[in-house]
Amino acid sequence: MAGTGTHPDIPLFDLRITEDDLAAVEAALRSGRLGAGERVERLEQAFAEQLGVRHAVALSSCTAALHLAYLAAGAGPGDEVIVPAFTMAATANAVVYCGATPVFGEIVSRERPYLDPADVERLLTPRTKAVAVVHYAGYAAAVDELAELCAARGVALIEDAAHAPSATLAGRKLGSWGLASAFSFFSNKVLSAGEGGLLATDDDEVAALARSLRAEGISPSDGGYDVVRAGFDCQLDEPRAALLLSRMRRLEDDIARRRELTRRYRALLADVEGLIVPFEDADVEGSSAYVFPVFLADEGRQGEIARRLREQGIQTSILYAAVHRFSAYRERFPDVSLPLTELAAHTELTLPLFPHMTEQEQDRVVAVLREAVAG
Amino acid sequence: MSRASDWRAPSAPTRLTDADVAAALDCLRSGWLTMGPRTQAFEQAIAERIGTPHALTVNGPTAALHLALLALGVGAGDEVVLPALAFVANAAAVRSVGAVPVLCDVVGVGDPRLDQADLERRIGPRTRAVIAVHADGRAVDAPALKALCDARGVALVEDCTEALGAEAEEGGWLPGTVGAAGIFSLSSPLIDVGEGGFLTTADDALAAQVRSLRSHAMTSGTWDRHRGHDPAYDVVGIGYNYRLDEARAALGASRFARLDEQIASLRALARACAERLEGTVAEPVWAWREPAAERWSPLALTVALPDREARDAFRAAVAANGVAAAVRPALHELTAFEELAPPGGLPAASEAAARHCLVALDERAPDALAAAAASLSAS
Repeated sequence: MAGTGTHPDIPLFDLRITEDDLAAVEAALRSGRLGAGERVERLEQAFAEQLGVRHAVALSSCTAALHLAYLAAGAGPGDEVIVPAFTMAATANAVVYCGATPVFGEIVSRERPYLDPADVERLLTPRTKAVAVVHYAGYAAAVDELAELCAARGVALIEDAAHAPSATLAGRKLGSWGLASAFSFFSNKVLSAGEGGLLATDDDEVAALARSLRAEGISPSDGGYDVVRAGFDCQLDEPRAALLLSRMRRLEDDIARRRELTRRYRALLADVEGLIVPFEDADVEGSSAYVFPVFLADEGRQGEIARRLREQGIQTSILYAAVHRFSAYRERFPDVSLPLTELAAHTELTLPLFPHMTEQEQDRVVAVLREAVAG
Repeated sequence: MSRASDWRAPSAPTRLTDADVAAALDCLRSGWLTMGPRTQAFEQAIAERIGTPHALTVNGPTAALHLALLALGVGAGDEVVLPALAFVANAAAVRSVGAVPVLCDVVGVGDPRLDQADLERRIGPRTRAVIAVHADGRAVDAPALKALCDARGVALVEDCTEALGAEAEEGGWLPGTVGAAGIFSLSSPLIDVGEGGFLTTADDALAAQVRSLRSHAMTSGTWDRHRGHDPAYDVVGIGYNYRLDEARAALGASRFARLDEQIASLRALARACAERLEGTVAEPVWAWREPAAERWSPLALTVALPDREARDAFRAAVAANGVAAAVRPALHELTAFEELAPPGGLPAASEAAARHCLVALDERAPDALAAAAASLSAS
């Protein structure tokens, strides 16, 4: 039985690397070149193609992708970037890296836990350089409305698509709506390689800037180099590119299985009183079904229910605590109040979901959760 | 496509052993890739080898330097002194914390390490830190620099990216154990895991700060939560994702176990190259046949030519013979850092930048160098 210090029986995520994946990585390791090379280039081509954009720039992390995307949007000291607070801290941190100020927007509701375009409209100022939208849990945010709003106001739209590879809205891939988008290849993600990220864009200049800044801004010439704009060191390497290329071939199958499990969770949990399951059944088809979030109707039970699941060997997580309530942000932005985000953050639980999860495992999660919620 | 780290030193192709490959694949097979037990084991191996209380892996040497500067409190309005032949990432990292890089000169064409007297002159009231580069595989006099920095109330950071495995010629100390922090690369001709680096420090508070900032300043990690720690966490600062992952840590640990062998082989190649250049106009900056060379750890061979024209011809000839060769611009020669040139310039760094050629320590390097030197004297 799992408790503190041991591994859970049913983990939140469970990454399986196949023999094909291993063979691809082995070839990269034995190729004589571990630094970015032809495999990274092939990954970028394959990713851009499946997304339907002109450029994909492989990076060390999604955080790095957000940083470069905000810089490409022109964010700097004195500027503002509107971000949701119901997200991983990196969405806001990367704004701070640029010297700009994150301005936190409210979510629509717990049923629609993504950035509310009406609130974004209220928060836009002449200093706003970009709006960052998060496709929470792999489901489309109101990116169509935001794209229109941003275009009308001359502000860049950046998509934090960490959760949402190959997800769509109205048939168009998420991550292809804004000036640039950021994807994550972190271990627990739909398409994972341990650590890694990628910036996607249709804009030639944004792509050129990202390619330059990820490698210290170095432009080679005559055996030496010049640096016109100083950059960073946030490249991906060949072994991880090989792993991602191999895993990309199973991406659609993995997502299809995640959707099946998601639909089953929704059916099994539909009648549980005291539980809010966000999004609609119809939204599952376009999503990447990255995680399965639920909200407890009542506040004050999140810790207790997570503990009861953990005692039964079931790992859960909180996606997410509200960014503006973290110490680092309370110190800098003490006056932010986002009641819906705070309610969502205090009542959310993320349940285990991974492509090879069995129905028995899922039934167990549902049974334990049902019992815990009932008290 | 080029990798930024490759501009620190040109490299021969990376050859891994079956054990190295197995270590990385075993890790992948385990399904746990996020910084966890393998990273901890690797960090412990590094700390033991270097003789430092803390070794912390990150995703590159630039990340290590960035976190060191942040942890030392370097920020807007501060100055950081560094040698003009330091890699561009060092100056960029200083700027990325909002501070101003101040360049000092190097000793000369025959010694591309920092000039301590000039460095001392560049320390002013705003100086918060000094970045000493252990250049071209040879330690600088870090204890002397430490004494100087202590006297001026300035922090010393050691850039050990070109000196993993080097040892002091006097005193037996290792680079990365003297200053407040040492920064190292795991993307070098000596040890390559793909993208990676690490930081060493004896300062517990600095280590805690770096450990926090490399993973978003979150009070618990994915590994902790997987093992049943409370899923709730706080974010106590503006951190970064500078984590290494388990597969790279596993590969690093496997390669680290054979570090001495690898150093010996690079050193033997440097010596063989130097022999083939004897009596030519191409002169290695270090005397690789001296007994002291046993304490040096080369990533590449730095060769001085009579002038820029000869150097360019030499570099092209080495490259034409299939061996990677590069030139190393001085920081104030780069467009982004032109304004850092002090009045009077940095004559030794400029001359070294014009006359040095860095050659990969490839098995073909001795022949390629001999051929390049011969082609030079023939023309």
